[in-house]
Amino acid sequence: MPTFFPWRPAMTADWPQRMAMLDGLVRTLSENSAASEYDAVALEARRLASHALGAQQALKLQNLARRMLVHSKSFTTLRYLRIGLTGNRTLSYLMAPLRAAGLVRGLLIDAFEVPYDVVRAMAFGQPNIWERKPIDAMAIILDEGAFREADGLLSEQGDAAAFGGAKSLLDRLARAVREEMGSRAVVATIPACGSNISSSELALGGSIQRLLMRLNEVIVDGARGHEWLMWDLAALANRVGTDGWFDPVRFHEAKVPFRIELGALVADHLCRTLAAMSGKSCRALVLDLDDTLWGGSIGDDGISGIRLGENSPEGEAYLAFQRFILSLRQRGVVLAVSSKNMDAIAREPFRNHPEMLLREEHIAVFQANWEDKATNLYAIAEALNLGLESLAFVDDNAAERERVRQELPLVSVPEIGADPAFYPARIADSGIFDHLPLTDADRGRAESYRSRAASLELKAKIGDYDEYLRSLKMTMSVSRFDPVDRARIAQLINKSNQFNLTTRRYSESQVRLFEESANEFLCWQIRFEDIFGKYGIIGVLIVRKLERIWVIDTWLMSCRVLTRGIEETLTNLLMAEAREAGVETIVGEYLPTQRNALVAGLYPRLGFDPSEGEIVGQRYSACPASHSPLKSFIEIQRL
Amino acid sequence: MNDDLEKMTEIVRDLFDEYDGPVSRELCARDVGQWDSLMNVQFIVLIEQAFGVRFSTREVGQFKDLGELLDAVKTKRVAN
Repeated sequence: MPTFFPWRPAMTADWPQRMAMLDGLVRTLSENSAASEYDAVALEARRLASHALGAQQALKLQNLARRMLVHSKSFTTLRYLRIGLTGNRTLSYLMAPLRAAGLVRGLLIDAFEVPYDVVRAMAFGQPNIWERKPIDAMAIILDEGAFREADGLLSEQGDAAAFGGAKSLLDRLARAVREEMGSRAVVATIPACGSNISSSELALGGSIQRLLMRLNEVIVDGARGHEWLMWDLAALANRVGTDGWFDPVRFHEAKVPFRIELGALVADHLCRTLAAMSGKSCRALVLDLDDTLWGGSIGDDGISGIRLGENSPEGEAYLAFQRFILSLRQRGVVLAVSSKNMDAIAREPFRNHPEMLLREEHIAVFQANWEDKATNLYAIAEALNLGLESLAFVDDNAAERERVRQELPLVSVPEIGADPAFYPARIADSGIFDHLPLTDADRGRAESYRSRAASLELKAKIGDYDEYLRSLKMTMSVSRFDPVDRARIAQLINKSNQFNLTTRRYSESQVRLFEESANEFLCWQIRFEDIFGKYGIIGVLIVRKLERIWVIDTWLMSCRVLTRGIEETLTNLLMAEAREAGVETIVGEYLPTQRNALVAGLYPRLGFDPSEGEIVGQRYSACPASHSPLKSFIEIQRL
Repeated sequence: MNDDLEKMTEIVRDLFDEYDGPVSRELCARDVGQWDSLMNVQFIVLIEQAFGVRFSTREVGQFKDLGELLDAVKTKRVAN
């Protein structure tokens, strides 16, 4: 069964356990429970609801949401909404999924079906017979069955009559909701699921397909005229595919207008509109850079090496994504950047890349540093004066996404997939930026932040980073150079710029010489993996072995795996190896280039002391015998 | 077969989460407060999903109790 929610992360292994715990907790909630307890429940419920769930997990979530509703007044961090659903088909199946779907977007939804007869009676002049509490919105979901009188009118006069009748029914229903019930109508567009007898059905006067097409226009016009909100159910049906949308067996069995299995998806789709209506949509988008806005790493590949623009399919895909982002900005979404990079290097494409669409003036806050992204996001939210709930974070790196989800569960973090061609659809489908028809204020909002690509001072780090590192279950394997990996090693040596202490370039044949001189050189290649997968060779270390002194000739690492403690772990390993060999001193050099400021302070951080030397850069040394091991959460494999 | 009953029991527990009586082959809609005709449709859909079978328009609505449903699932699977 493919997931209906590709923009959500897969369920974690501890999901069932956490859900059981949370459910237990909710059952014990009472008037005496502390406010903090309710807040914690709401947050955990949101976290658990934000995964791609199977049918049975979805049921558990629905049960949880129903139990939470009992305490609706106490969940102050959730927006409580009473939502009515009405239509000419069975909609009961949508109630439970709707309650569950609300939790993802910070809504506590009290959903119930308002009998269609009641609304229809009011539409046709009966006084208000709906005596229940007022509702925040009423979704109206109709299909051709509501316009029965249109049947069999296959003529031009029939066309006009059917359309006139249907339009007036729709208007009356919406007005009854608005005026009689004092609520907002949310009118669903109508999916056309039938099979057509002719391929000119839409041109055939009086045909149902033609009627639905024209009614959908009426629904759109009503939304433009602010008579009601529209919910584009027909667009969702198209995304799903009408064969997968409509199940004739179930229709005849229970008059359900769409497959019951789609309940969670349909409910989520309605919640997009409800969230937008309640001001719960995201207002700011925080973007990663490398492999998110362009292909490759600006630090390592340089401005001419990154893949962006009309010269390759991949470059075009990134361009299309940037166009998508600019479209979000036009709708009022504020843009920010959070990238693990040197500030000047990260800004280069924005300033100088000829095909880059995003420019510094589009970016309100520009955070390029080596700090944890959760810490940066927190600072960005503060600077923009937005709640964390208003932030969305887009990053191609699964570990970064997971870190932010763990630390800041209120931030929306969609899964965007591995291919930039799919980034726009994933983000659009997630609905996190859904909005009502735009106002002038919306359009100007992003501008009003006087986007100046400011960079912020960071305050204290947030969260327990060690805990996070532990949860990544990292393994590092260290092996000697070998012929199979020679090409990749040479490639890394010639390409890495940022985490590169000496930036010495060696050809493949020189790498081979190192490989074959095991007595004079210690040559390690480092592979890395964590719960998100294998990263392949991410580091290279070449150490010249003199009698009592080892000199680190080359040390470089891929920027994909920084801030995981790999450098500390590797240092521990090297020290142990040196101790065993009776080495007294390990010497490391830092040769500054335009791009490697990242590692300027590396050796002192790793317990090396400055020392004298006749080189251009800085020279450091450490004594293996007295070097105390550095903190590490990485398991080591020696091959 | 017992595995099937177990799997079905799990679904019963989640869908009819207010029912805490025993679940056996003899369980039927009458025994469970939440099990009305609408829930029955949902139940059948969940069974179809969980067991990878599909019932026809004629078949749905003909099962007297869990036992009959289990047998139908088994027959369907053999036929597939």
